[in-house]
Amino acid sequence: MATRTIAVDLLARVEGEGALDLTISDGRVASAALRIFEPPRFFEALLRGRGYMETPDLVARICGICPIAYQMSAVQAIENAFGVTVDGQLRALRRLIYCGEWIESHALHVVMLHAPDFLGFPDAIRMAERHGDRVRDALTLKKAGNELMRALGGREIHPVNVRPGGFYRVPGRAELASLADNLKRARDIAVDLVRWVATFPFPAFERDYEFVALRHSSEYPISEGRLVSNRGLDIAIADYESEFEERQVAHSTALHSLIKRRGAYVVGPLARFALNFDRLSAPVQALAREAGLGAVCNNPFRSIVVRAIEIVYACEEALRLIAGYEPPAAAAVPIAPRAGVGFGCTEAPRGICWHRYDFAADGSIGKARIVPPTSQNQPSIEADLAAMAATVLDQPDDVIRDRCERSIRNYDPCISCSAHFLKLSVNRA
Amino acid sequence: MSPSARRKVLVLALGNADRGDDGIGALVAAKLVDRLPPDVTLLARAGDMLSLIEDWAGFDAAVCVDAAAPQHAAGRICRIDLASDELPHAPSAASSHAFGFAEAIALARTLGRAPRDIIVYAIEGLEFEPGAPLTYDVAAAADDAADQIIAEVQALRAPARTTGC
Repeated sequence: MATRTIAVDLLARVEGEGALDLTISDGRVASAALRIFEPPRFFEALLRGRGYMETPDLVARICGICPIAYQMSAVQAIENAFGVTVDGQLRALRRLIYCGEWIESHALHVVMLHAPDFLGFPDAIRMAERHGDRVRDALTLKKAGNELMRALGGREIHPVNVRPGGFYRVPGRAELASLADNLKRARDIAVDLVRWVATFPFPAFERDYEFVALRHSSEYPISEGRLVSNRGLDIAIADYESEFEERQVAHSTALHSLIKRRGAYVVGPLARFALNFDRLSAPVQALAREAGLGAVCNNPFRSIVVRAIEIVYACEEALRLIAGYEPPAAAAVPIAPRAGVGFGCTEAPRGICWHRYDFAADGSIGKARIVPPTSQNQPSIEADLAAMAATVLDQPDDVIRDRCERSIRNYDPCISCSAHFLKLSVNRA
Repeated sequence: MSPSARRKVLVLALGNADRGDDGIGALVAAKLVDRLPPDVTLLARAGDMLSLIEDWAGFDAAVCVDAAAPQHAAGRICRIDLASDELPHAPSAASSHAFGFAEAIALARTLGRAPRDIIVYAIEGLEFEPGAPLTYDVAAAADDAADQIIAEVQALRAPARTTGC
């Protein structure tokens, strides 16, 4: 039996540290494994016994790229448990800070991490020698996103201004209006970015995915909605555990998430886009069509175009929210703890981020469960790896390795977020 | 010398004050407050290295102070002039988590956004545990580092650079 093993011991241009093992046996892909070996961080255990007011600041520390996703899912769950509704301008401000996170996270991935794959450069520094203007554009986009994060969150990394019930401080009108000029410039840059990435050479590769995303009655999903899929799933976020399960696998400190009845699924830009194309504005839909996208995109390599489309949407949405902003009378609505269970689910840049907390009467956490997007995508990433490798088995190892690494980067995996825990079994004689 | 003839100088303190000796940059920055000429900008940064590229824009020279990995002696101050020396850096194309100070400088230079002169004061640390305080020898180096940086800044502000290694 002829066996080839292709290993990438340290994946490049992803958030965090992971590796890839591919085994080819008798001319077929025998196994494809995305190894996530970052140490588990025990956030769920760390949250036990902590008070509800501490929670947003604690979960923000899970990720330096998408802290808002963790904060927003957490406050939604807390408010759900305590029977509090946050609406009006406070809700708008939460959506606005989330736009900032989408802009900075997507810009970083599209240009600095993903674009070099299509242009044949090992990294953004080398790419900048030929495409300096595009890298400068990415930095401008990232700055515009960071400015929103700083204005509403106090700082761009691990913001400190989000609290259950709203914010600790809300900005004045002039403060937000001052961000609009840079956001308009960012929107124009993002439109150019869509047109640029649409010209990249994309491998002819499609898979029949089950996409899962939030869906809201009127908005492109960021901060709330029902959980839907293209195969008939349509549930409240509180019913997540009845439809989804997490499994441990030996090669990963991230749990693998599966739909109980069907298996692997995809979250993130491709899923949001496929399930909510009709929620994009007409100009953004037209731009997507101009970029060669239909209402559904099943080619994961084209996710770079969808991410760029979502940057345009986030800039437009941020401008709309700023234009309609009136400072609320209070920075937060009153909130009082009670015993109960709360659920939160929002759309992190990489896909749905689901939280559940069990609270005691004093608002302390008895149990926490956090499901990040990358662990949900991991089974689909591995299925992509096997399918992609099968198309290039006759190629040299370095070609297979390159194509597989690119397959992983299509998902913008945030490996540090996904590292969870590994069950430890001790066998004693 | 008229203020307009002086070169624009940035002093950039790097590091996480909540991680033991990585907080030496912040401590040196605290000691420089009110001791630098008014036309010199002092910034402290703890996280996103890509943001440094924006911080540097428009400056003729930058003096950066950061903690360094243990090598010889805790608290040892090493002056590195990037006109003649290089900083150690991660392998090409590594994880985004390995995009550090050296990579930010390389990218800024490629984009034409790096100051012409960059001087790094690297102070050797000993312990970098989360939540730990600065160790004694490293904290003790802060006054000396601040004095050296003030002298460096004075030299860099002059229209014609006069400093050597």
